[in-house]
Order: sequence, then C-alpha cells, then structure tokens
Amino acid sequence: MDIYAQNILDRYKEPHYKDKEFSAEITHKEANHSCGDVIETSITPKEAYGFSGQGCAISMASADMLGDLTEDMDENEILKIAKADVFEMLGIDISLRRSKCALLALLALQNGILEKRGEKLKTWTDYHI
Amino acid sequence: MDFKKDFPIFGKRDLVYLDSAATAQKPQAVLDAITEYYTHFNSNIHRGPNFLSEEATVAYEDARRVTADFIHAENKHEIIFTRNTTESINLVARSLESQFQKGDEILLSKLEHHSNIVPWLQLSEKTGVNIKYIPIDSEGRLEFAEELINEKTRLVAITAMNNSLAVMPELEPIIKVAHSKNALVLVDVAQSIVHQEVDVQKLGVDFIVFSGHKIYGPTGIGVLWGRTELLEQMEPFLGGGSMINEVFEDHFTPAGLPEKFEAGTPNIAGAIGLKAALQYVLDIGYSKIHKYEKELTEYLLGKLTSMPYVEIIGPKDLKNRGSLVSFGIEGVHPHDIAEGLSQQNIVIRAGHHCNQVLMDHYGLPGTARISLALYNTEEDIDKAVKTLEETHKYFN
Repeated sequence: MDIYAQNILDRYKEPHYKDKEFSAEITHKEANHSCGDVIETSITPKEAYGFSGQGCAISMASADMLGDLTEDMDENEILKIAKADVFEMLGIDISLRRSKCALLALLALQNGILEKRGEKLKTWTDYHI
Repeated sequence: MDFKKDFPIFGKRDLVYLDSAATAQKPQAVLDAITEYYTHFNSNIHRGPNFLSEEATVAYEDARRVTADFIHAENKHEIIFTRNTTESINLVARSLESQFQKGDEILLSKLEHHSNIVPWLQLSEKTGVNIKYIPIDSEGRLEFAEELINEKTRLVAITAMNNSLAVMPELEPIIKVAHSKNALVLVDVAQSIVHQEVDVQKLGVDFIVFSGHKIYGPTGIGVLWGRTELLEQMEPFLGGGSMINEVFEDHFTPAGLPEKFEAGTPNIAGAIGLKAALQYVLDIGYSKIHKYEKELTEYLLGKLTSMPYVEIIGPKDLKNRGSLVSFGIEGVHPHDIAEGLSQQNIVIRAGHHCNQVLMDHYGLPGTARISLALYNTEEDIDKAVKTLEETHKYFN
C-alpha cells in the first residue's frame, strides 16, 4: 500500500520543525473548519521557523516543508508564495479535496505577516479553492 | 440478499460505497421515474389549463399523497415539499418567529446536526430565545431529565438518529414531557427514516423533517410534515408565485396549505423521484431492511472491535443504534484513513460530520465513519477492513 509519496510520509512521521520552541516575531493560527485541522506557524524571517497543530499527513508535511522553502525568504517573498509553489514543493498530485490540507500552513504563515502589517487577511478564495 | 443489482452505479464502476449517511445511491426505479417525467410529461404544475400540465400536477400531487401515507400522516396537505431537511427546519424556525418572545426556551440535544442547531441560533439572535441542550453520556446516549423542559420551553427539536454516532434516542419520554408543558416537538428523521418506519400518529409529534436523497431519492427534494392547525397559524416562508391567493399593489393574501409554503416552481422531478424511492422501500419492507442492516452492523462492529488499534466512538452495542459506526485509528488522521480507502475505490466519510457541538464534547477534530445501507454486503465490509489494516501498518 502506498497512500502518499515517501517524502510526505517521512515528514509527517519525523517532522523537522514541529513544536520547535523559540521566541518568534510572527505567530498566527488558522483552521480548516471542514475537517477540524488547526495549524499555528511561528516565524522570524531568515532566522527561525516552527509550527504546531493537529492534522492529516498532507497538512503536517506541508507545514514542515514550508520551513525549508522559506529558510532564506523575507516577509515580501513569503507573501509571494503561491498555491502552485506549495504543490510543487510537495511533489505529489494534490486533488481538489486535499487542497486546503496542503495550503493551511501557508495561509497561517501569510496571514501572520498580513496581520502584523494591519492588512486584509487572505481567505481560501485568494488561493482559488 | 442482493439489493446491489437494483442500483445501477454498482454495475458501472468498481465501487464500495460506505457513505450512505451522507447520501444514498439511487435505484433504477428512481432514475426511471425522473426520466419518464422529463421525457413524457415535463410541464409546470398548478397552472396551465392543458393536458400536459394536468399530467405533471397529478404526478406531483400523487407524490405528496404517497409521502403522507409513508409517514402515516392524516392529511396530504400537511406534507410540504422543500429542498432538504435543512430547509424544512429553517421553514419552521422562520415561520414561527413571530410566536417567540425574549426569554422563551428552545431545547435541542448535543446530538444535533448543524441543520438542527443553526436555524435556532439564528432565531435566538433575532428574538432573544434561549437555546438549551440535552446532555449526553460517554457513549453519546442522551441524559434527559424532566427539569430540562419547563414552562418557558416553547419547542423541543431533536434527532431520531445522530449521524456520526448512530445513537437513536428514546423519544417517547421527551415528547411526553414536552407536551405536558405545552411545548412543540420537531423530530429530525433525516438519518433514521431509511432504516426505521416513521409513524407521525404514534409518535404524536408536531413536525417531522427529512431529505429525499438519504432514502434513495434524488437530491433537492425534502419534506416537512406539520400538524394542520400549526401550519395554518404559521407565517409564509418564501414569497412569490404559487404561495398566494390574491396579490394587490400594496398587499397579498397567502394561499392555503400546502401551497402557502411552496413558493415558485417546485422540484417536480424530485417529488416524482422521491415517490419512486418511497415505493422501493415499501416494496422491500422495513422489517426486512431492519433485519438485514442489523446483521451487517453487527458484522462491522465485530470486525472493528477485533482490531486493537481501532477506537469506536459512540455505542459499541446494537441497542438503539442505526447502521453506521464512527471510529479512529491510532496514529492516523481521519482524512488519511479516508484517503487510504479512497485509493481502493472505497468511499467513507471523515471529518466532523456537521456535528461540531458533539465533536467538541469529545474533544475530537473528527472521526472516520462507515455508514451502511441495504445494498452493502459483508464483502464490502471485508474489503474496507483489509484496507484499514494496511493503512494502520503504513502509518505505524
């Protein structure tokens, strides 16, 4: 049986950034109310990244892999990350029904920055799902 | 017993369908009835003075009669066709609004689907009525106490079968106390009606609501049954064609029952399809359905109980339950359980099942749910169980 690609399963079982404790500049929580998943991301751009929460393999792997993707990014670069970038990062086909799982951590990350700037927060519509 | 052959979808694709609590598959008889209407006598109803409209009207009104007989309603005008259970409950909540006052109480239970919570919360926002809930024990059984209903209680709205734990509450004591305090009783039979007969006379309730699509009928057709004197007192729900008697520049007079609550062109094909679905159930008979589904549920519970890493959420026995089981697997998120099964063409549901109040009670984000109907077999369950075993191995 092979439900997901090995990279997804590996990062789900042994995440690099989950529950990492540090004093973050930006912390933000988002929920996927259709399944109950909640993810809180914490970031000090170009310095440290972490996340906490409960979710399925795709949402947890995506939250973890975002740590690598954003390692050298500043706030503006993080805000420019698009749905396609996340899907490419995951490296597997993401069906419509799993799109929110894949993008929940990105939503938390980007809305953290927008909240800090006092700008309008993103919703799922902004990712065209 | 082979009911699968009655449902064409199973001949069209490799499919194990274990999600009937979300929506049931449709038998050929229902598809034929809908096609027959659209290909032979498609027309609008209750208006055109012509033979085609007459045929459509007769078929639509016959569907109303069959629906009334199906739930043992005395009068066919007490059947209001809506879109679904949700709309039926909204209709009652909105149309009764002017009869509620600040401080009145509405009693629900923690087992309610969002469709039997949100319309009452909306009513509460508008009128100031207080919403209370009958609590539940660790298995999800209601802990009803007479004191929950008092002189302020105006309405009790309760499910006949919860859609994530399968609990079928004992309604009789609740109805008895409610009526002794002059409170109205609405029973949501959306989940139960496909498994268990509904008799509005015996139940002695005031409103019954359900959806066609969960009892092998089409989507987009729902039913509200209400007692005549109540429906007559209630304000119209939506305004427009059909629901009026006369219209003037500055006022209108509403039509009588049931048209008063059926504004606009209704779902004619849906009502005709629903009639075929109800007849399909009647032809088999509830006793046969109940016996077969009970055996299947026992088989499923036995299999899941024998898997040490599976946790069943809700009652683990067959007492007062319907044919569905919610569960979790150690170390596997419900969505990943559903994904694993989905890749083997097995359909289940995972999530909070529109039961957030209930899930919060258990502190769960959601569950995986297998729900059974009469087209399911032990072989379907075996296939699902085998994949559940593999899914557990894959993640652990």
